Amino acid sequence: MDITAVDSAAVLGTSRLHKASAAAKVAAFTLVLATVVVTSDVLVLLSALALLVSLAVGMGLPLRRMLPLALYPAVFAAVFAFASAPSVLSAVLIIGKAVTAALGGVILMFATPYPQVFAIVQRLVPGIVGDALLMTYRSLFLLAEKLTNLTTAVKLRSGLAAGQPVRAFRATTRSLGGLLLYSLDLSQREYDVLRLRGYEGRLRVRAIPSADRAMDRAIVVGAAGLLAITIIVRTMPAAVGAYTWIFATLTILTLLVTAITRWRKS
Amino acid sequence: MTEHVHVHEHAHPDDPGCEEVVRISCVRHTYEDGTSVHLCGMDFLVHRGKRVAVLGPNGAGKTTLLYHVLGLLRPQEGEVQVLGASPSDDWRSIRRRIGVVLQNVDEQIIAPTVFDDVAFSPQQYGLPDAEVEQRTLAALDLLDIRELANRVPHSLSGGEKRKVALAGALVMEPELLVLDEPFEGLDPRSRANLIDLLARLSTEKNMTVVLSTHDIDTVPDFADFAYVLAPGGSIVLRGTPAEVFSNADVIAQGNIKPPILAELFARLRERDADAPEPALSVQAAVESLEAWKHG
Amino acid sequence: MSHIHIPDGVLPIWLWGTGWVVALIALTIASRVSEREAVRRKVPLLGVISALVLVAMSTEIVPIAYHVNLTVVAGAILGPWMSIISAFVVQVILALLGHGGVTVIGLNTIQTATEMILGWMFFRTLVRALGRPRVRWAAGVATVLTLVVTTTTLVGLVALAGAGPAAIRDTGALNPATLRFGNPLDGGVVNIGLFSGGHEHAEETDEADHEAEADHETEADHEAEADSSLSVTRFASVVYTLGPIGWLLEALITAGVLGYVARVRPSLVFEGGMSQTESPHYGDEHGGH
Repeated sequence: MDITAVDSAAVLGTSRLHKASAAAKVAAFTLVLATVVVTSDVLVLLSALALLVSLAVGMGLPLRRMLPLALYPAVFAAVFAFASAPSVLSAVLIIGKAVTAALGGVILMFATPYPQVFAIVQRLVPGIVGDALLMTYRSLFLLAEKLTNLTTAVKLRSGLAAGQPVRAFRATTRSLGGLLLYSLDLSQREYDVLRLRGYEGRLRVRAIPSADRAMDRAIVVGAAGLLAITIIVRTMPAAVGAYTWIFATLTILTLLVTAITRWRKS
Repeated sequence: MTEHVHVHEHAHPDDPGCEEVVRISCVRHTYEDGTSVHLCGMDFLVHRGKRVAVLGPNGAGKTTLLYHVLGLLRPQEGEVQVLGASPSDDWRSIRRRIGVVLQNVDEQIIAPTVFDDVAFSPQQYGLPDAEVEQRTLAALDLLDIRELANRVPHSLSGGEKRKVALAGALVMEPELLVLDEPFEGLDPRSRANLIDLLARLSTEKNMTVVLSTHDIDTVPDFADFAYVLAPGGSIVLRGTPAEVFSNADVIAQGNIKPPILAELFARLRERDADAPEPALSVQAAVESLEAWKHG
Repeated sequence: MSHIHIPDGVLPIWLWGTGWVVALIALTIASRVSEREAVRRKVPLLGVISALVLVAMSTEIVPIAYHVNLTVVAGAILGPWMSIISAFVVQVILALLGHGGVTVIGLNTIQTATEMILGWMFFRTLVRALGRPRVRWAAGVATVLTLVVTTTTLVGLVALAGAGPAAIRDTGALNPATLRFGNPLDGGVVNIGLFSGGHEHAEETDEADHEAEADHETEADHEAEADSSLSVTRFASVVYTLGPIGWLLEALITAGVLGYVARVRPSLVFEGGMSQTESPHYGDEHGGH
């Protein structure tokens, strides 16, 4: 879970998806999520996954760094599937749902700075929760850096080597103890800053306007279309179920064309 | 026994008519771990529009002094007055008039983007959105960092973070600006730019500036007055930079290494009694030495 | 067991929906209580402790591949109301990183908050009972007790996951009785003949399709009844056999961390994070503290 890598990609990226508004991206992600929840058809799920990968490839997002995050839930889903799924197809469905939903979330976070996503969440939750969310985000980087330094220092000073689980355990505990103390001191200093700077109970995030309205429309319409197809397949399996392979084939072709185009460009 | 020296008393703005912005009178603070800082010996006074540097060795109490100015510490003894109020009791009434840059700017930047952070105070004070935006952009322009507006703070360099923190402190156009070690981590050019900016703000807007620093060489360029703290918090010396740095004994007592030019002139005077009076800027030193050379 | 790693689209809507409703109600109450006083102090405390839990979760003890949670530590520092807020914040950030589903944020918030609150409660009680010098024991035992309870709530949650055959079939939910996911694929959804498990429903009428589903439903119910006790026992036995390794590690870490802080800054551990009243940032007055 390397939040710093995600953050850098979101902040420094220049793709058209980066330029789209956060609201449009969150809306599209919600629609993809609804697709994952609604679908029970492996081919529809495969199509959704192919479309998401096409989007990531087409926009030049760092797929290599994204995939480990997107595949992480697959491990747990595979455990569930292994333990419980009555057939191979059910297992594929379970794992596919996990990966598709996670990839949707990861694309959103790799293409949108956290504060912009949090600003939307902030509007939906009580004031203190929204502020705590933003404060957590800010503190996360300070603590991650501090923990790295503490761990290095403890390892160097304890002469830690591989194959010493007890000493490694102690070193980790000591680092975390130091980190907890630092955290509490940090919270006090942040309190001082809030007081000095006049905090009155609401951190605000300025919404960055969209720099690519066509992209906004494209991702929302695309995701809505995907959900619509999923609902149709789900509600009328007898009528359209036989044709989902066409949809899957088309999306896989889209992925191939996107990948080849991208490869040629690069 | 520490010697307390008021040098060049007439130069100190104690004169009637000069508005007092900060006064700290013999304040004592004992921390939870028993460390005691006693800011005594003479009053710490800052008058409107002046630029004041607080000097002292590690542990002398520079930050403690600034924290009392900011009301972050409550004096257990003595009195603190800032803009006519007690900052620890009545911070709310004066906070809009004071800008602050703390030592660790990373921890001072609390909002998720540069723009949001600079806009933080005006938003919290309930200014209209248009004014918030206008003030924020003006502060970003003042520090020449408008292009950083949408960046997240942790992706910035140390110097950029310091500028963002300063923009956040200046956005309300404060009457008093308090800076704790503002030159730390800045390269020479950024340091010179910051000194120029502070001097300009102080002159153009009559802004009062109080800063603590270890960077002695910046003091002659920046400060109208300097205070020297000895270990334990005693205020042992005050005066113009030239006066302070010519007082070699007290400077040595405070474990402070004088600026290189002050040291050069002190050595010259040890060798030759006719050597010129210390000059603290390169230009002044050149002129002084040329005059001495030509008799 | 601070959060469940069940992906989106696996649990029935009624369950994760209820999770969201319960979590949001708890969050609203916790926010109202927390906003009554000292908000300016609580916001940064919530921020750093939530960040600490997230950073801890990314910390792995390399040779044994265990990831720390620190939820009991967080509970001891934050107290019950702020724990609910912190649990939600942690789960939102985890979900956005693909670490746990978005739909299960509500359930995960309940699970994590329960862990923090129980940790706080057991730790306080044990410190009172055993005395402050035995803070490590209090922390360790509190952690084990907490994890025993929350592991059980996890089993309960899984048991709730498939209550009702319709839900199981419609959502592919985990059936607590059989510990199998309801298989919508058998109901004729993938019916193009590409997969051997599929039925040739494409040519059937809607009516016929419903009949087929009804038949399948009845069959599944019978299976569920037959396998019920054996499957739950198996699941529980797996969890309660492997769980104690995690409980022990978390207990040792929690004991180490809280013991260390109790030695250096006792008020933080015994009175909570809100007890800190003075800035620890005094420049170099304390030798670079």
